[in-house]
Amino acid sequence: MNAIEVKGLAKSFDGKPVLKGISMTVARGDVYGFLGPNGAGKTTTLRILLGILARDGGDVAVLGEDPSESGYRLRQQVNVLPESHGFYAWMRADDYLQFFAGLYGRRLAAPECRTALAQVGLDPADRRPIRTFSRGMKQRLGVARSFLNNPQLLFLDEPTNGLDPKGRRDVHDLLLALNREQGVTIVISTHILDDVERLCNRIAILDHGRITYEGLLGEVTETTSKRYRFRLDAAYTFPPAWGFPAIPLLERSGNWLTCSIEEMTPAQAIRTLVDGGLPIVEVEPATGGLEGVYLSHIEGGVQ
Amino acid sequence: MSRVGALLRKELLEGVLSIRSAALYLTSVAVLSVFAVTLVSNREMSLLDNAQAVYLMSCIVLAMGLLVAVIRGGDSFAGERERQTLELLLVAPVRGREIALAKLGGTLLAWVVTFVLAIPYVWAVGSTGQNLGPALVYLFVSGALLTLIFGGVTLIVSTRTRSLMAALSVGLTLFLLFGSPVVLGPSLRQSSVGRIIDWVNPFAHGLNMLDSVVVDSQGISFQLAHLGVLAGYAIVIMLWVSLTTRRVRL
Repeated sequence: MNAIEVKGLAKSFDGKPVLKGISMTVARGDVYGFLGPNGAGKTTTLRILLGILARDGGDVAVLGEDPSESGYRLRQQVNVLPESHGFYAWMRADDYLQFFAGLYGRRLAAPECRTALAQVGLDPADRRPIRTFSRGMKQRLGVARSFLNNPQLLFLDEPTNGLDPKGRRDVHDLLLALNREQGVTIVISTHILDDVERLCNRIAILDHGRITYEGLLGEVTETTSKRYRFRLDAAYTFPPAWGFPAIPLLERSGNWLTCSIEEMTPAQAIRTLVDGGLPIVEVEPATGGLEGVYLSHIEGGVQ
Repeated sequence: MSRVGALLRKELLEGVLSIRSAALYLTSVAVLSVFAVTLVSNREMSLLDNAQAVYLMSCIVLAMGLLVAVIRGGDSFAGERERQTLELLLVAPVRGREIALAKLGGTLLAWVVTFVLAIPYVWAVGSTGQNLGPALVYLFVSGALLTLIFGGVTLIVSTRTRSLMAALSVGLTLFLLFGSPVVLGPSLRQSSVGRIIDWVNPFAHGLNMLDSVVVDSQGISFQLAHLGVLAGYAIVIMLWVSLTTRRVRL
């Protein structure tokens, strides 16, 4: 049984279609990246999958149940970190976790609470109310809350929003551990492609209410692993024609060139370009493999 | 602790610890202080019979309690929705009616706090006269029932509105709608229209009961009709709340 099966999901707001018959499948144990620009319908989809928003059409099964019909049992096995969610500002971090643990029928003892806070990098001895927390601290607390019920399926909407690089890395590590050690299926809605590349094994791109791409992340990165970016001297005037047929030019942005070097090594490519008169000052692998796929599957993404 | 217990505990603590609640109670205290000082210091008002003074003070306490109930009821779902905390409650394994039950518990607690804050004021204007004890008992009971009625109605409105301001506007309009007929002149209230309004208006029942107890010194047998109507309203509203919150959407 798949963790999520969606067929022909449709939803409109005030007569304006937001989801236009999307279909997707998330297998158990997947870390599924749900990509798309703002307003594409990602959050709407997640809310329908969580059963807190009614759908207009289509079939949805989450852990084998229809979320709009099911109650306690499904919600006990699922949790979510919404993109922007509020906090009870007057609570302390430990009160907050204990309150939500209570909603899931758990009594969170003080040592467990301290462990949960420390796990996300919050100081368990911090007794200040949440209203004094920074955005990053709140995000960490939200992450700790989303793990409280040991979910089988976890929805994360922009989970690393507002986190510093170390915080992002901590959250990545936590999610990967959760997925690998406990087999938790994770659906991440984001437009931070670095998160997707680090965490996900499968992705879907949603644009204007339609899934425009769905596939394994490995397929995307494999096809783009031989792309490199070259920065040229700013004073260089780019010639009207590209003179290196063995190194196809894929994209030019300012004084940055993205080329495919499938027929030679990077060192050979650099030598060829320099010998050909290009003043190269910097070279880097084009990690934008996913970015390229993403941009090519959203409207207006490729200029 | 059960799920409802966790929700109830949160509502009760929020009713005491949050800045919004503190602001509400401070406002109540300020209004009660002004009114109590006016009652005992203003030349014309200080000539009032002691029972009349207690009755007037009780009316103000009741009105303040209802205002707090309307604000809390309006804030219940619409406020959580606006502060973006409702989503997490709805995805947790709790029913909408369990959330509503806890919210009503919090609203009742707000009435208890308002009542406790009001006791010194009622005592200050009526300590030398009669019926102070019954006034407090009936004030508490009628306030609790009216809190359930008005808090429940605004909670229902709150489940349907996306904006806290809209929920509060509807709640305050209801408060004025039911509150204004009771300040009609005596002759108008004695007319057939006035009597009908008095009979269907739960707020009027609360005030008439206080009038009967405090000013006319009438016993419980005279209050049963008022209590029955208030209890009936409260039961109907609670059933309505239960139906409305069976399925709460974001």
